[in-house]
Amino acid sequence: MTDFDTSLFLSRRRFLALSGGAGAAALLAACGGTSSPVTAQAPAGGNGGSAYSGPNVSLAFWNGFTGGDGTYIKKIVDDFNKATPNVKVTMNVYQWADFFQKVPAAVASGNGPDVGAMHVDDIPTNAARNIIVPIDDVAQALKLSEADFSPIVWQGGVYKDKRYGIPLDSHSLGLYYNKAVLQKAGLDPEKPPQTGDDYLAALEQIKGKAGVQGHWMTPFPFTGTFQFESLLWQFGGELFDDGITKATFDSDAGVQALTWLRSLVTKGYSPANVGQDADYIALKNGRNAFNWNGIWQINDLAGISGLQWGAAPIPKVGTQNAVWANSHQFVVMRQTRPDQNKQAAARYFINYVSQQSLEWAKSGKIPARKSVLESAQFKALAPEAQFAKQVDYVHFPPQAPGIADALALVDTAVNQAILGKKQPADALSAAAAQATKVVQDNAKKYGG
Amino acid sequence: MAAVSSGVERPVESEPEVLSAGHRIARHGKATPYLFLAPFLVLFAVFIVAPAVYGIWISLHDYDFLLPNKPWVGLANYQDLFSPGGRDAGDFWQAMKATGIFTVLSVPLLMVVPLAVALLLNRSFPGRTFFRAVFFTPYVLGVAVVGLLWRYLLDPNIGLVNSYLDQLGIHRNLPWTTDLPWAWVSLVGMTVWWTLGFNAIIYLAGLQDIPPDLYEAAEVDGAGRWQQFLHVTLPGLRPVLLFVLTVTILNSANMFGQSFLVTKGAPGNETRTAIMLIAETGMRSFRMGTAAAMSYVLAVVLLLVSLLNFRLFRIRGESS
Amino acid sequence: MRSRSSLLGRSGFWIAVALLTVVFVAPLLWMLSTSLKTNPDATRQPPSWIPDPFTTSGYQPLTNLTSQTPVVRWFLNSILAASGNAALIVVTAALAAYALARLDFPGKRFFFGLIVGTLFIPAFLFLVPNYLIIAKFGWLDSLWALILPSAGGAFGVFFLRQVFLSLPRELEEAALLDGANQFQIFTRVVVPLARPALATLIVLSFLTNWNDFLWPVYVLFSPSNFTLPAGLSILQGAYTTNYPVIMAGAVVASVPVIVLFIAAQRHVVESVARSGLKG
Repeated sequence: MTDFDTSLFLSRRRFLALSGGAGAAALLAACGGTSSPVTAQAPAGGNGGSAYSGPNVSLAFWNGFTGGDGTYIKKIVDDFNKATPNVKVTMNVYQWADFFQKVPAAVASGNGPDVGAMHVDDIPTNAARNIIVPIDDVAQALKLSEADFSPIVWQGGVYKDKRYGIPLDSHSLGLYYNKAVLQKAGLDPEKPPQTGDDYLAALEQIKGKAGVQGHWMTPFPFTGTFQFESLLWQFGGELFDDGITKATFDSDAGVQALTWLRSLVTKGYSPANVGQDADYIALKNGRNAFNWNGIWQINDLAGISGLQWGAAPIPKVGTQNAVWANSHQFVVMRQTRPDQNKQAAARYFINYVSQQSLEWAKSGKIPARKSVLESAQFKALAPEAQFAKQVDYVHFPPQAPGIADALALVDTAVNQAILGKKQPADALSAAAAQATKVVQDNAKKYGG
Repeated sequence: MAAVSSGVERPVESEPEVLSAGHRIARHGKATPYLFLAPFLVLFAVFIVAPAVYGIWISLHDYDFLLPNKPWVGLANYQDLFSPGGRDAGDFWQAMKATGIFTVLSVPLLMVVPLAVALLLNRSFPGRTFFRAVFFTPYVLGVAVVGLLWRYLLDPNIGLVNSYLDQLGIHRNLPWTTDLPWAWVSLVGMTVWWTLGFNAIIYLAGLQDIPPDLYEAAEVDGAGRWQQFLHVTLPGLRPVLLFVLTVTILNSANMFGQSFLVTKGAPGNETRTAIMLIAETGMRSFRMGTAAAMSYVLAVVLLLVSLLNFRLFRIRGESS
Repeated sequence: MRSRSSLLGRSGFWIAVALLTVVFVAPLLWMLSTSLKTNPDATRQPPSWIPDPFTTSGYQPLTNLTSQTPVVRWFLNSILAASGNAALIVVTAALAAYALARLDFPGKRFFFGLIVGTLFIPAFLFLVPNYLIIAKFGWLDSLWALILPSAGGAFGVFFLRQVFLSLPRELEEAALLDGANQFQIFTRVVVPLARPALATLIVLSFLTNWNDFLWPVYVLFSPSNFTLPAGLSILQGAYTTNYPVIMAGAVVASVPVIVLFIAAQRHVVESVARSGLKG
């Protein structure tokens, strides 16, 4: 995942009292007494999970929903457990960085979960390593097709012509702003700046009139890297070339993007050393005006009484609209001792959750399915709908086995430049040179 | 997994039968000693001997334990670390540098500060046992608790340390965890806080082993406090000092938890230590061949440092 | 050293002791205070030492045994792992050390040389291969992974051999004349005589295992199997900015240790002290 054990989600006052013992369940699963030894990892059941009528099984479901979305996924799991007496799902939530350190090793050693959630850029690596298994049958049973999704989300679940992921959502970066701070600076709290020039002008005014540094620029992947990548695409750049054989994020576009972000610090619109998540906390405390953050924060902000905040698409700083996005996808883990019933139940569980997209959207996600996206109920979720405006120009991280090791280098370059350790151009070119070596190694290792 | 035989092959040469005084009877059967040794030898063979050999084997492959093919690459993993522009060379030597910086900064402090504390405690006063326990407490808490605690105390925006500095008007928002040199100050400082008690107790025992009449003799010769310290205390502590130095260097070179919990390697990868990089490479990217090669290079460097240490102490010992 | 009882010297001494004590105690009190705060209160500037409002909600996600962050369970796992490891070390090392100190057999020098030769090999060298070995045995994500590997270390054998060599032989000779076999001599004569040294080894092994961080973080996967180091690092990840919860975790992890330490303070301190003098 990344070099830094950063948290994708902020915690909140409402804790997740998670139904536990999942670890024990995973262990039981690993040493499952009822398992009928199957030589190959056969696709289970044959109905792709449209129903499950087998004996009682328990499933371990691991994910990285540590934020407000955790509350919703837990609700979905609880509902599922109520509705399905013969399948008991226990959930474990890890920070994503920890998740990707533990899951591959756990699955390989037979102590892993049965079901998980991953991002699209994690799917090829884990498919190539045989951590997750193909689930084309689930997509067929759900009667899912590309027409139901935005193509990128749909294609994101595929590796080497096999489907490994069932899309759950897409989630992008968005602009959050503190209305009180904008008002104090004499800006219209209903019209956040939407171009680069307006944005800088607003920051200048906020600094002068409200005495607030208006865009705390975090040097950490969450969400510093996402801000850099968004701007890289806005300036017409790309992270890698088409075949992912060479890193290209040190292009002029990349340098422009990173220079612009660094200038927020040098111009005094941001403190010089923003700690992890301090940018977001400062927004909540009125010490920051703008924060480009994941749409998963919506619920956290909504839960704070008296906070006046707004959401909008991120401003167009470069030559075109673009914004970082990713998608959570359901995956089924390989089992060292395949258990037909578990596999069938896992598919049924995914099938069930996939149909709960709207509930999931309330956790601050854009539902993956167009039908839900276009429903009146979704449009009623104001901030989410604001962010959904960006749907036509979202960009996803590249997909290739082992890409995480290359993307980690982008994190380092952003960190060095924002903290003023290196000039943006130098940081990017050093990282890109190394990233090129990494993707070439990967191509050799995984056979392209 | 290399097949682990029960122990190691018996060497052909047997020791000459030395009968020490009082051995007049057959003391035990031939197998008895091996039965005594066996439990330990099994553990030793499986977890020390086998991994040492196995690790070399791993380092000669492109070893991803999650992939079916693990191609033989010969010395390529090592070459990569020593060729400028190699994929891992930059990261590795930066991590080695970080470990080096940490060691150079922390070892002198961990030698001197605990000695000062030990001298302070080396007198009888009410509550001595209590204070000794207080200074040792962080060590028993473990690095996880200490790391969590200091991460919070040193938080640039909401940490206690900065808010006091701010109130005293000294400085605003020092970047204790995100910028240099502050990150090193933090990591070294918390390490001293964490392990000071351990070294202090060892010193204290050493101090109590120095015969009091040496001090009395020195006092008769008209030596002051400082001269007594130089000519009686330090020479008396020499073996203890060497022990503490060796252990402290080894521990500092092993530094992982503090960076992992407090700075996460930031800024950039400046505070990512060698162990942290080895763990990330081997256990997160699963590039175990490279990680094993890194381990061996680091071990050799450490070995050289240890040898140098012993030499210096011996030379100093002979000259004094 | 005899203190010069000048008033200045004495007050300087007490000032130094008091300052040091504050440096060591204040952070721990801050940890306790924060664990009883609400999150906004914990991030308030300037910080206050008294929680307002006073709340134990930080402890809620931790004390529930079925939650995902069962700190109490982690604590028990840590105790189990460290005790198991210390017990295994002391038993196997004592047996082996006895053979090396008291028995004659072909290959003795070779074995002793081999064992001592590994004394200074740093543990990280075995990180990757031992991970794979433990994986082969199917012990990843279990306490066996924490109990077994470090028991192969040479320190215990080396340390106890020195101790056994320094014991007087007369009692052993007498027992031998009484017809005791070697195992009886070992259990009835040598072990009782070496009890303080064995206690020292137990304490040192326990502390080393307790303080180990790298290994548990990478070999344990499931929350129910975590020990404190592995669990607390996950806790910091999951509650990044929720300092009351993180500090509550640290408090739950600390209080029993401090109580244990106070109870066994003399032993622990003596053990550590002794380890240095053997160096």
